[in-house]
Amino acid sequence: MGDGMSVKRIRWSLVLPLAILVGTSWSAHAVAQLPPQLACQTEAAPRTAIYFVNGVTTTLDEARLNGGKLEIEFLNKLPTMAPTIRAMCHLFFLNINPTSGAVNDFLEAGQQRLGLAPTDFWRGLEGLGLYTPDVIAQALQGPITAANQIDQATIQRHAGAYREQIASPSCRRVLVVPHSQGNLYSNASFDHVFGQMPSPPAGTLKIVGVATPVNVVRGNGLYRTSSTDALVNVIRLVLSDTLPANTNWGNSPLLLSPTYSGGHSFIGYLTAEPSRTQILTDMESSLVALASVNPC
Amino acid sequence: MRRWCGQAFSLLAAIGAIGLLGGVFVSCSGENSQPSPSTTTDSIAGVDANANGVRDDVESYIDTTYAGQANADLNKALRQYAKAVQSSMIDADSQPLSLTHATERFRALECLMARRPRDFHTIFVDLRAQVLNTRSRSDAYLKADNQVKAENIPLLPADQWVTACR
Repeated sequence: MGDGMSVKRIRWSLVLPLAILVGTSWSAHAVAQLPPQLACQTEAAPRTAIYFVNGVTTTLDEARLNGGKLEIEFLNKLPTMAPTIRAMCHLFFLNINPTSGAVNDFLEAGQQRLGLAPTDFWRGLEGLGLYTPDVIAQALQGPITAANQIDQATIQRHAGAYREQIASPSCRRVLVVPHSQGNLYSNASFDHVFGQMPSPPAGTLKIVGVATPVNVVRGNGLYRTSSTDALVNVIRLVLSDTLPANTNWGNSPLLLSPTYSGGHSFIGYLTAEPSRTQILTDMESSLVALASVNPC
Repeated sequence: MRRWCGQAFSLLAAIGAIGLLGGVFVSCSGENSQPSPSTTTDSIAGVDANANGVRDDVESYIDTTYAGQANADLNKALRQYAKAVQSSMIDADSQPLSLTHATERFRALECLMARRPRDFHTIFVDLRAQVLNTRSRSDAYLKADNQVKAENIPLLPADQWVTACR
């Protein structure tokens, strides 16, 4: 009994400060309600399609929330962005990278190797991906940047969506923000879009990569990978030409929470500083470049 | 190559240790993470005595964790999501129904983001962990996802998320 009480005291002494820190971090970028974009109320205003492409252990629901987080953070910053960007109407989309099979593998591994109950597995999914060697094994098996490592049907579906957005009558510029393995799909889709005739005007599709395991961002795109991203750090140990880290999560308490441990979570990248601000700045400069191109 | 692998897996072990340590002490949203009372009911549907589409143990979790008038809207949004996931699991063998329920889940998540734009993700993680508390439920949820892997589910823009609340 006495031991139990002392464990409880230790637990609360750790939980309370961490909970306060996490809460403080979340509230730092908060807004109550997002207003409609003024440019979207003008039919003549140019449109951009902003796509989120998910990574390997992201379920459909998480992909929706990741895309939502991107939209919230972008729209919060929009009023301070360049006038060119404010004059455009930004529409948000998802290009799903199907990962239910991979999540199922992780679930299997989590239960068999770590004896985790399903509830614990789902709580730590984004960190758990790091405990199993599957992702690393994939990296060891061959060039992770090669298109043959990923699903061709998905690449074609993504590329088709981008081409349709760019072509008349939509005439939209496209900005893709992929996370993790989604970067492979985005690069491959970029090649597919511009490798087919008729090719869309150059510069109508840009990529801003997040937590990228690859060695290039197509179209001279920008990227942000954190120095505390353990998954990409491990991949870089194996594949030394993986793009170097160029941001971090500062002293974010998210790094200590089970949901975000490993520093690879997209939500974490868009919550912690300076990664959040740098990703948004990269999006802004990419949109400025896109604004100078006429898709139709 | 052996050296690289050794370093890689040493790092993984270290990360795992940190993560597991964190898991022992911290629940993301700071909520109680005790197992639900009806975890022993192993069927995918579980027990829904009042037939409102939300499993009783999940309903109890939502009501206990997000009690009071201040949480009324959030409580409702979470019930909306829990109901959509329950339908997704039950109908996971059907592609058309999986698409319908995935769309319902998207609307529920948009409602959740409208209600709690700051911390929706941790709230979601904890609730989903409660809903998917058995292997068969987890499998059904992933099967439902797989049914719609090539679909393009429409999204509501952020300024309309609140209209997704039922």
